Order: sequence, then C-alpha cells, then structure tokens
Amino acid sequence: MHRSIVNFPSPAQGLALHLRLCDSDSIAPADLCRAYLGPLVAWLAARSGRVDQQICESAAHDALVTYVRNPRTYDPARGDLGAYLRMAARGDLFNLLQREAKHEKGRVAWMGVEDAGGAGNIPGEDDPTSRAEREEEAGRAKAFLAAIAEGFTRRERDVLNLMLAGEHKTSPFASALGVDSLSETEQRREVKKVKDRILKRIQRGGPPDG
Amino acid sequence: MADALEALAARAAGEPFFLACPLAAYASSEGIDDARLAAALGCPAQELAMLRLCRAPRAEPGKFWDDVNEVAVRFGIDPNVLADAVRRGQVILRLREAWAGASRAGGSLLAARDTDAPPPEDPP
Repeated sequence: MHRSIVNFPSPAQGLALHLRLCDSDSIAPADLCRAYLGPLVAWLAARSGRVDQQICESAAHDALVTYVRNPRTYDPARGDLGAYLRMAARGDLFNLLQREAKHEKGRVAWMGVEDAGGAGNIPGEDDPTSRAEREEEAGRAKAFLAAIAEGFTRRERDVLNLMLAGEHKTSPFASALGVDSLSETEQRREVKKVKDRILKRIQRGGPPDG
Repeated sequence: MADALEALAARAAGEPFFLACPLAAYASSEGIDDARLAAALGCPAQELAMLRLCRAPRAEPGKFWDDVNEVAVRFGIDPNVLADAVRRGQVILRLREAWAGASRAGGSLLAARDTDAPPPEDPP
C-alpha cells in the first residue's frame, strides 16, 4: 500500500547494510542512513497526513539512530530491515506525538510552578541519594581535571580554563598568555601552539614535555 | 532529502557513536563553521553530512587507525588530519563532561592550583 510510493532498499541491500553494521564497518551507518532516511520520512508522511513533516523526520531519525547504535535489535530471520525500521519509526512517531500532547497539557502547570517562585523545584534536589551521587560525580570530575592540570604552568591552566569554558576567540587566550601585544597572526600562532601542546599532553596523559 | 540527512547529521553530533560528535566538538573549539570544517578535513562540503554519519573510530589503538583509514579512503581525505581532528574532539568532549560535572556542584575548577607555588628546593 503506502510502501509502493516510496523506494525502500531491497531486502538484500538491507541485509548487506545490516551485516556491515554488525561487522563494525565505519561507513555503514552513513550508507544505511542515506539509504533509508528518505523512504522512511516519505512513508511516515504518507501514513500520517496531518502530522508535521519535521515530526516525521524526527521519528525517522530516532528509529535510525537507535538501530545503528544497536543493530542486533533487528533479527534478519524475522523480516526485512525496511519493515523493521518502518515499525520502529512508527513507534517513535507515536512516542513523539504523545510527548507533544503531554507538553501542551503540562504547560499551564509548569508556569504555575515557576510563578510560585519557591525553592526546591528542581527534581531530586533534596533527595539525599541524588545529592550524594552528584557530589561523588563532582569529586571524580575535579580529580580528573586536577590530574590533567598537573604540571601545567599558570598560563597554561588559564588557557585550559578558557577552553573548558568554551571560549574560542583568540584575544582572551592571547591575554591569558601575555602575547596580546603581538600581531593578530602571531597571537593566533602562539595561542594555537599552546592549545596544541595542552591537547597533546592531555591526549598522551603523561608528564609535560616542557 | 539532503536537508533531512543534514538534520540527521546535526542530531548525530550529540551521539558519541557517530563521527559527528567529536567533529562537532573539534569545530566548536576551533570556532569554525561547516565550510571551514570541510576545508580543514579536505572533504567536499556536500559530503560532510555523510562523513558525520560514519561511526566514530573505536578507542582501541589498532582499531582506531583501521577505522580512521577506512573513513579516510572512502572520503578521499588525509587519515592523519582526520585522526587529529577526532582525537582533539574527543579530548574536548571529555573535558566538557568533567567541566559540567564539576560545575553542577559549584565552585571553581582549577582555582586551587592557580597559584604559582615555587618549585620544591633540591635536597641539600
């Protein structure tokens, strides 16, 4: 029926892609997504006329991502990969629509929570177990960062902090390194050199090479 | 279809399974857009979505290079350039995770180490 209006890969092509995925072929996820995304979106859109195209795309994305990450959830002995993905995408579309509906319904209630302005609205905030887990995680994270920073000069640590903060303009790094009086090209070169050195050390995980 | 594939590649940036994830971290840390990322990798811009949808190289030493070479050959790019971008991206991702974890608990990250203590003196 609806399947006839879209060109899904043949069962053989599907099986070949599935086997490549299971064999950890690096390119297989890309080839599989290219082969199935268009047909899946078209198939969903044809079946769900009033549903927004973007929601159909999201559902197809969900189905493909879930499958390529866990290809063994599909059993070729039980049918064609296209059929499996259509079923998965239909389920994901249903879930997305349900979530949308809940979101619409919950909006007033959520605004009510915000308007109340009281403390303790963050879920799990006062739960001792969650707090302990967060503290434990923070402890591990701090230890990890401290180990990384071991042996870095103060300026390198400043550069690292800027990188951690997501900074990508050259000037804050140049200031941190005290090279802001140099030309822009020289600044960029110096900053890149230090960033490279930091990243190399982190990748190596060994002591600084000075 | 190209748009849908690009949207999927963009979504894959949040999934460590995909090459899109470390490449996005790399691009963001370098402050470069898609066109410059493609240029930096030596990959045709129209192939970037497909490149991103490849699986990220596995961490095991031998497998990492196998995977990188496989992708590099398919897209006609220099494996060393790709490996460098992926490794940098992965480092940035680990740092971001650590940063997020530490930030949730508040406090400064490396402040305790921001003082330049004098080096220990040599023993007499």
